Amino acid sequence: MQLAVNIVVLTAIYALIACGYVLIYRVSRVLNLAHGELLMLSAYLLLWTASLFAGHPVAAIAAALGLSVAVGAMVYLFLLRNLTGEMALAAVLTTVALGVLLRGLTVIVWSAQQHYPAVPLGLANWAFALPGGARISLWAALLVATTLAVYASLFAFLRLGRWGMRMRAAGQNPLLAAQRGINLHAIYALAWSLSTLTGALAGMLIALDSGLGQTMAIIGLKAFPAALVGGLDSLAGALLGSFIVASAEVVLIHYVDPLLSEVIPFLVLIVVLMLRPWGLLGTREELDRV
Amino acid sequence: MSRRPRASGYFRTNYGEDLSLLPTRLERLALLGVLVVLLALPLLASPFLIDLAAQVCLAVIGALALMLLTGYAGQVSLGHAGLLAAGAFTVGILFKEFKAPFFVTLPAAAAVGALLGVVFGLPSLRVRGLYLAVSTLALNFLVAYLGGEYEARRGFSTGIIVDPPALAGMAVTDAKAWYLILLAAAVATLLLCANLLRARSGRAWAAIRANETVAQTLGIGVASYKLLAFVISSALTAVAGALFAYYRGFVSVEAFSLFLSIQYVAMIIIGGMGSLAGAILGALFVTLFPYAIEASLGALVGASAYAGLLFAVNATTFGAVMILFLVLEPQGLIGLWRRLQTYFLLWPFRHRPVGGARR
Amino acid sequence: MLLRLQGASLAALLLAAPAAAQDAYTIGLTGALTGPPASTYAPAADALRLYVDGVNAAGGIAGKKINLILQDDSAEPGKATANAKKLLTQDNVLLLLNASLSSTFAPVVAEAKRAGVPVLFASSVCPKEVYPPADPLQFCTTAFASTYDSRATLAFVKETAKEPVKIGFSAMAIPLSRAEMDFAEQQAPALGMTVVDKEVIPPPTPDYTPFATKLRDAGANWVFSWAPWVTQVRTLEALRRLDWKGDYIAWAHIEAEGELARLKDGSFYVVGANALFQEQLPIHQEIATAAKSAKLTYPVEQLSEGWIAGMVVEAALKATGWPATPEKLAAAMSTLKVDTKGLRGGPIEWTKDNHFRTRQYYRVYRWDSGKGAIQQVKDWTGFDVK
Repeated sequence: MQLAVNIVVLTAIYALIACGYVLIYRVSRVLNLAHGELLMLSAYLLLWTASLFAGHPVAAIAAALGLSVAVGAMVYLFLLRNLTGEMALAAVLTTVALGVLLRGLTVIVWSAQQHYPAVPLGLANWAFALPGGARISLWAALLVATTLAVYASLFAFLRLGRWGMRMRAAGQNPLLAAQRGINLHAIYALAWSLSTLTGALAGMLIALDSGLGQTMAIIGLKAFPAALVGGLDSLAGALLGSFIVASAEVVLIHYVDPLLSEVIPFLVLIVVLMLRPWGLLGTREELDRV
Repeated sequence: MSRRPRASGYFRTNYGEDLSLLPTRLERLALLGVLVVLLALPLLASPFLIDLAAQVCLAVIGALALMLLTGYAGQVSLGHAGLLAAGAFTVGILFKEFKAPFFVTLPAAAAVGALLGVVFGLPSLRVRGLYLAVSTLALNFLVAYLGGEYEARRGFSTGIIVDPPALAGMAVTDAKAWYLILLAAAVATLLLCANLLRARSGRAWAAIRANETVAQTLGIGVASYKLLAFVISSALTAVAGALFAYYRGFVSVEAFSLFLSIQYVAMIIIGGMGSLAGAILGALFVTLFPYAIEASLGALVGASAYAGLLFAVNATTFGAVMILFLVLEPQGLIGLWRRLQTYFLLWPFRHRPVGGARR
Repeated sequence: MLLRLQGASLAALLLAAPAAAQDAYTIGLTGALTGPPASTYAPAADALRLYVDGVNAAGGIAGKKINLILQDDSAEPGKATANAKKLLTQDNVLLLLNASLSSTFAPVVAEAKRAGVPVLFASSVCPKEVYPPADPLQFCTTAFASTYDSRATLAFVKETAKEPVKIGFSAMAIPLSRAEMDFAEQQAPALGMTVVDKEVIPPPTPDYTPFATKLRDAGANWVFSWAPWVTQVRTLEALRRLDWKGDYIAWAHIEAEGELARLKDGSFYVVGANALFQEQLPIHQEIATAAKSAKLTYPVEQLSEGWIAGMVVEAALKATGWPATPEKLAAAMSTLKVDTKGLRGGPIEWTKDNHFRTRQYYRVYRWDSGKGAIQQVKDWTGFDVK
């Protein structure tokens, strides 16, 4: 039973991070390798707002989320917008450079030590029992709930909303979309904001659950295979991929060798890339040359 | 070969001139000058600068290999660190297990690299672009994992120490000797790449990069030339990794992080895609830039009281400069150079006259 | 423009080379000042810098200042080698300090040996070579030491436990931590303990619960972890969330003092070799005052490790005298005895074949929920190092 709960929690972590990769890739065909650093930055922003609004967790979290959304939009407007039309690799490399920059910046501002944003916010982390003898911590449970809520609203947004439809159109054929009067830059900026918003939720919840340090950026990278396994342009795929990778990881930790948990995501990834390179639920596409 | 005029008033009149590597006397003279400076460097520079120069030579080999693959054949790879690691571990394992000398380990590293090139290249027959980049990335992690397990199981927890290679009975430890060896290796790699590019293979790669379907109808074996690009590039990279192992005197997985792959990609992009000179400039830039920032910041701030922060500042500046480069000068350093060249070629005009004489 | 900038800085480097201070003791440190493991090493480098500044402000060592050069290696062995090369060949350092992951040791030591310069491990784990019979050029001041730590910890567990011990181990997937937990696993049965589980956890792990589940399900009533702080404490937190009621013992890294107060867990013991700041010894106040005036970013209780390194460096340079050479320094270091003024249980004493310390002292602390303060469970216990 605990095993199932562990799988669900890890799936939720990976899925909440992975949907950030998917949102940006689906809309603008850019692979954002700074996603891990951006979610780390959001968690640090929470640390900052926590010191501003000590004792008011809701205000602090809302302020940090607002800031993260602004950061996402700014990353697009000031960086990626200028790279529209360049080779895909240049955009990817820009995000990598952004990641390097953010890592340095967070150390300058917040130093390299481990922080616990839950402490200034006065939030305790307790665990409660689930039926079947399993236990889950408050923040892990919140993380699972958030992931479900985020996915549900993203599906609804992309299917039903006007802006969601525009986003899908921009992802399918940017040229035609632009000619139909869709403001591509606004759409792309929106995708970046949404992506950092979901990333920020993941980063903050992980930081509240288990603290915040420079390793958080690497956790972002660990969710990357999950997004690829499912298909980089499919939200449902991100969920499925996260589930596959998380279950493989938890089961192997439990029954085989905990050390394997580091390579397993990438082994799964290679197998999938050989059989269905566009991912389990992704759309088959002709990819650009470099 | 680029079709732009290289000097004012110089036009190629036959095919042989188009194929020659250094068509004009000025270029030959410039090359001679560069070579003299490079060879004289050990006599003038401080040991630290010689070490830097040696690092640049190593980076140049790797960057040229990646440029061949990505800049010319159009196949993206994020697994470069994995290939460097493979070369280094071949040396480390052969040395530790069999006490093999370097004239055995170097060809072995090249062979392992070539073999891995086939493995890394196989996905390229099915996928392209970012997906190819990601599959090479995954293989990179696998190589690192295997290397790490070898280290952990054999008890080399702090890395494998490799003795310096013996040349004519003498162990090469001198920094100057190393610099010259690595310089020679870099020059040899450059010549090899230049010659591959002006031969049939180079034309085939250019065709594949431009359009695979057209390349196929022209009678080019797309699959085999793609694999050839991977094999050659990987073998060269593995040799660079092997040289790295000997030069540094140790092998450890932690020296071959994902960031290293990214640095190599940064080299060819910052240098300028599709240009061997760009690969060299990029390698020079990416290798020296952190030291340059460190030196200039150190001079700027003066007091080293904030030394702990200085390094975070260093990382931040490196990221920022990389971004500025990518956003403002996507053609890379070679693009800057070409623009400068064009400026003087067209002077006093700013643009090519409409219906101009050439092109 | 960038090219020009590069050229200018290179020229600056070239010119700066001979301008190194001739009238000072030059020592260099390569350490993980940035990068994922920086939180363990960067405070030590800061504290060392603070100590050296203090010595220099007080007039230096017999009028000669200490010139400390810090180099960041981001815990990458390649960068550490380049740093070592630079420090040894360009700055001509008398002493090379290492404050980084163990994977940087081999190349740094190799470079130092080639130059005949002693290496001091400060805040990075003590390698085998500093124990008897010690390597002539390698020294260590770091509190934690493989095998001795496990012996002390297991001895404490044996005398504290009231019921038969079923022990589980938690290691980080880095060679050093793995090896130490393997050692403890071998030692435990001889002390009458049953080993029930050993987890090796990769460093970037988002959720520790799967590992904690295995430890709990294996029925451990004690868990021992000797790993970087993150792994130790996150395993504990995950175990507690699974409602595990057993006793947990881990190494008291520099973060321990702040963390014990955060966790407020009565069955969480930390074993350490540094006195915690709550003792308020005069030396602690001295460090606190210095840190305050220098406005250091790290909490003052994380500075002991670097401060001790500073005390040892000062004593070693004093014993060497002026003019100093690496050979003279190495000779002075191999017969050094430094009073740690209460920061440790005893002096740091090096002999010809022991460059660790002749006697290593341990203390055990835990949180006392009744008093709401950290409580010393067991005072200094010495173990002879042979």
